[in-house]
Amino acid sequence: MINAKGLVIVTFATATLAGGAIAQDIVRIASPNKVTTLDPIASAAAGNIEAFGQLYARLLRKDAEGKLQPALAESWTVSDDGLTYTFELRDAKFSDGSEITAEDVAFSLNRVAKDEASAYPAAYAPVSAFTAVDEDTVSLTLDYPSAPMLSYMEIFNAGIVSKDDVEARGEDAFAADPVSSGPFMVDVWKPNDRLTLKANPNYWREGYPKVAGADLIEVQDDNTRTSMMLAGEIDANRGVPFAQVDEVDASDSVNVPLSPSTLIYGVMPNHTKPPFDNLNVRKAAAMALNREATTKAMTLGKAVVANSTLPNALTYHNADIAPPAYDPAAARELLESEDALGAEITLMITPTFEQAATLLKAQWDAAGFKTTVERVDGGLWWDRLTKGDYQVTINWWYNETEDPDLAVRWAVCGSCGNNSYYTNYNNEDVNQMVEDALREQDDAKRGALYKEIQRISTEELAQIPLYYPPFANAYSTRIKGLTLTPALQWTLEETEIVN
Amino acid sequence: MKILRFIVSRLLQSVPVLLGVSIVTFLLMVNTPGDPIRLLVGVRASDETIAIIRDRYGLDDPILSQYFTYLGNLVQGDLGASLRFKVPVSELVAQFYPVTLFLVVYSIVLILPPVILLSVWSAKRPNGPADQIIRIVGVIGLAMPVFWVGLLFARFFGVTLGLFPVSGFGTTIPEHFLHLFLPSLTTAIWVVPILTRNLRSALLDEMNRDYVTAGMSKGLGAPQVFRTHVFPNSLLPTLNLFAVIVAYLLGGSVIVETVYAVPGMGKLMVDSILARDYFVVQGATLVFALTTIVVMLAVDILSALIDPRINT
Repeated sequence: MINAKGLVIVTFATATLAGGAIAQDIVRIASPNKVTTLDPIASAAAGNIEAFGQLYARLLRKDAEGKLQPALAESWTVSDDGLTYTFELRDAKFSDGSEITAEDVAFSLNRVAKDEASAYPAAYAPVSAFTAVDEDTVSLTLDYPSAPMLSYMEIFNAGIVSKDDVEARGEDAFAADPVSSGPFMVDVWKPNDRLTLKANPNYWREGYPKVAGADLIEVQDDNTRTSMMLAGEIDANRGVPFAQVDEVDASDSVNVPLSPSTLIYGVMPNHTKPPFDNLNVRKAAAMALNREATTKAMTLGKAVVANSTLPNALTYHNADIAPPAYDPAAARELLESEDALGAEITLMITPTFEQAATLLKAQWDAAGFKTTVERVDGGLWWDRLTKGDYQVTINWWYNETEDPDLAVRWAVCGSCGNNSYYTNYNNEDVNQMVEDALREQDDAKRGALYKEIQRISTEELAQIPLYYPPFANAYSTRIKGLTLTPALQWTLEETEIVN
Repeated sequence: MKILRFIVSRLLQSVPVLLGVSIVTFLLMVNTPGDPIRLLVGVRASDETIAIIRDRYGLDDPILSQYFTYLGNLVQGDLGASLRFKVPVSELVAQFYPVTLFLVVYSIVLILPPVILLSVWSAKRPNGPADQIIRIVGVIGLAMPVFWVGLLFARFFGVTLGLFPVSGFGTTIPEHFLHLFLPSLTTAIWVVPILTRNLRSALLDEMNRDYVTAGMSKGLGAPQVFRTHVFPNSLLPTLNLFAVIVAYLLGGSVIVETVYAVPGMGKLMVDSILARDYFVVQGATLVFALTTIVVMLAVDILSALIDPRINT
């Protein structure tokens, strides 16, 4: 009869046998973010953004210093009025060996700019059209100037797809197993589990990628990813909870460098619902919060306290402003003068913000609010948020680029389609400045506009900024050169396996 | 022939059950607030884009017409397609179901031998030292939350000792056994005490019956009375409990699957619910329901084989 002990021994024996079969030449990354589609225009969710970068080359790329460098485009010129861009393409091939032509480039970029199912075309709003001038020249014409347009030729959804592939097999088949132009191509995709990539032998960058492949594994649970990392089953962990950073970093075979991100955490009041439609009540809510102590409690001192409505990693971040300082007594007086002492407020949170809710409730109640915490899941949160069916909530966001254009459109613009991250903050002057800043070609003037936008929106507490956390990703010492850029791109093509 | 007719009639009875399950799941899902499209295309997509994509997926059709479309496809064996991945639900089920099945069967293999050994050992001398120790250890096993045990095992057996992988499923059969050892063991930790207690008390009940005295007085040795009479009679109540637990394990696999990152049905189910991936939730629920029906049927047949008095 087989008993438990016998089985352990049998399993043990197989363990020893199977030990040698683990793939040594691929990089394994575990992430809580899900890959749901491989079509670069179909989604702007983090998991997909992280995968698109590996599959699709862009016209431009960013180097380690964050400078724009030629990629598929060998060179480019911009007309004096800033309305026409001309890109000269290099000789490059798709993963199936076919040439990457100007037709493919125009098709891909028109698709992300104009297709009605394009998930996030905001960067391409000024685009009139991309046209293939000849075999390897593409011209881009704009309806009005856009200062960051060149840098948008590098972002996650500006990847070049094969026109023939999309048209021959249809968008659905393409979205599951595309012909790729980036450093990697799809080996196997198991939806809801993992995306296995292999090196694209036709990638335009000679000598890259340096590894044979990569596994993007979906692992929801923080503790599980940490165990996997410590057991050597993965090479990178996308997201170590701050509480575990020191423990994981202490392991000999793992490093947890804290690297810059465009993340920002903040309290989001609904500007069209009492009592937060009143600026003085918002001020009281901000003054009631000891943001330094709250940040320290939530991130164990690993994040910087936020001073602006925009992330500090963005260009033109305004370092000279700050929300009202911690002063619970003044907060109470302010509430009294507004006849809002004892105002009942409901704080809507998703389960990840349990600790934040406890901290906020205690501080708000001490200053004279009466806070109720309401817990919802992510799906319901977005539903309620977008319908404006909440009083105050807390969440984070990040910007896909370091240019602030998309960030201001997302977070503080009332006329840009998202109602200031659905807080319904709407300041006509700010809205106008958002449009002006996009068109402004003079760098100093442009910077001044963004600083002014931050000053006004912080003063009016569009959101109450809390902190700027770094990316806390864990990397095995088995690999070298892997990092996550602020634009959510893994530097996988530069990654090497060292032992 | 009789048993064949029994199986057919039970399977026919399962049709209305499955229909009911599908209606309830469908109603629950469409009434759960939350838009699958926003979660799918990313939060920054504009409301217009989201409306266009909703329309493409037919999510704006009236609920009744959505359900009948679904039912019509279901009758033809089509479970629909995942909203998230655009792949057929049947493909996802085919990918994830075998993993969970492997996990459950593996757990059963780890569970049964200790249950039988421990309960027989306990019942031999009720309230003796062995019985007491088994009971106390059992209570501890029951009292520890599964996710916590999972975490501890992963850190101890996986990280500290490096004996077993702490995640995944592997690609070959020996790898499956290796990868699923800790998940199965974690499951066994709480199931073994339940079944042991149950079987022990059934054994004690049977051992005090008149037929035992009668058998002994006729000169049958204690071992033979135990083997041929007491043990088979005691198995039946435990077998029924066992069936319930197996059905529960299939659906309740989500905790161990999460802790050990096992790509099984539990993970598929939870992710699909959170993403409001309606058709996957539907399909997975139906598969769970069907599995439960089959397990119950198998146990009924097994009971009849053990005890011919039970009328199938």
